[in-house]
Amino acid sequence: MTDIVMEARNVYKNYGKLEAVRNVSMQIRKGDIKLIFGPSGSGKSTFLRCMAMLTMPDKGEIYLGEQCLTKPGVDLNKARARIGFVFQHIYLFRHLTALGNVELALRQVLKLPKEEARARALAALKEVKVTECMNKYPNQMSGGQQQRIGIARAIARNPDIILLDEPTSALDPELTGEVIDTLRDLAKEGTTMLIVSHEMPFAREVAEEMIFYDEGSIVETGTPVHFFNGPHSERAKKFMTRIINRTTRE
Amino acid sequence: MDFTHTIIFLSEGVPLTLSISIISFLAGIAIGLPLAFIRAYENEVSFVVDAYEKIFRGIPEIVLMLLFFFGLGLYFPFPFGNAFFTAAFVLGLRSGANQSQIFRGAIRGVGDEQMIAAQSIGCSKWQAIWHVMVPQVLTFSTPGLGSEYALLIKDSSYVWVIGGLAEIMTRSIWLKNVPPYDVVTPFVFAALLYIVLTFPIALWLDRWGNKRKKKIGL
Repeated sequence: MTDIVMEARNVYKNYGKLEAVRNVSMQIRKGDIKLIFGPSGSGKSTFLRCMAMLTMPDKGEIYLGEQCLTKPGVDLNKARARIGFVFQHIYLFRHLTALGNVELALRQVLKLPKEEARARALAALKEVKVTECMNKYPNQMSGGQQQRIGIARAIARNPDIILLDEPTSALDPELTGEVIDTLRDLAKEGTTMLIVSHEMPFAREVAEEMIFYDEGSIVETGTPVHFFNGPHSERAKKFMTRIINRTTRE
Repeated sequence: MDFTHTIIFLSEGVPLTLSISIISFLAGIAIGLPLAFIRAYENEVSFVVDAYEKIFRGIPEIVLMLLFFFGLGLYFPFPFGNAFFTAAFVLGLRSGANQSQIFRGAIRGVGDEQMIAAQSIGCSKWQAIWHVMVPQVLTFSTPGLGSEYALLIKDSSYVWVIGGLAEIMTRSIWLKNVPPYDVVTPFVFAALLYIVLTFPIALWLDRWGNKRKKKIGL
């Protein structure tokens, strides 16, 4: 038994000539919080989607625990039920209330009885502190509330890992704070997370490892301290300087 | 026959006009919705859907009606010898072709992200379609469905060619053919009845759809 929750081995993904993911490997152990950052358009989101098999990798393997997801014949729906995914643009189900959004997987995928699904959905909403919105439709909520519902939807079924794709970058700075607070709570509980984000103060606080990703591959990995004190690669250096300047300006 | 008799006689055709139209409308949903999703998500067989749409949108209803009732009915008296069945069947097939196009546009409007989000929580493709796409696609389609319903009410008048179904149009033609051979009043009343049957429901569907769309931000 290893405690590796997810692993990517030499994953490739091209979109035509664009090499979004180029030989990327990564291991995530139970309780890990890893943060991927890097210029936009560098393929971070594509890599994250490959991890959840929402985008099929061209080459390489994805493992969920011991199970290889990239082998033919794997029940990907079952695998995805064990992976939480939070989208940059949230993508809540528009026709369902907050509660409905969180309940759907519990009822239809896990096939829980009605009462149990309701109880677990309510618990998840409580955890992200949006119980007051439970009967509202996504369109009737603020972006921050919507994203917290998005997180509740991902955590309600107790997945092995949560993949978060720039969960705050579509939100105003004001609303970013409340989502970050929610993520901080999850971090405290020991939730295994792989996060694509540029929230540097947050990264510094919770991430065990930061991964600098550019042009489809991992350029440099290290602790937050390593990156804040001076990464080795020129590209990472430049990027950190830019990001830190931006953060202080704000 | 005076005015009152004419209007009563024609109005008695309303239930039949309505049931032919509503049944073929529902059949159209049952055919069009799966076809639209097959067209959207199963590339290998989408040519079948295209062919179906081309055929049933390309042939006049009246030709289909005669072909199915007199042609197929000759060899398969059950079920095509039954005028009501054949009328609803033919209009349903045609409506299925129309509705497939309406739903296809709606699927595009709802967006692929909803599908991906549903798959991200562990839903299979068909669960995602049923629980996430279909409810939104139906809401999105309301204006198109409203005009499709109106079209079916009007097209149900073609069933007079196969005879034996006492809906509004068939009744108007009967009236025209009996003394005093009035060729105006029955058709004026028929026209009014058709407007009453189409307009309010199509309008209501459109309003309901808009309200719902606003609520869920579609």
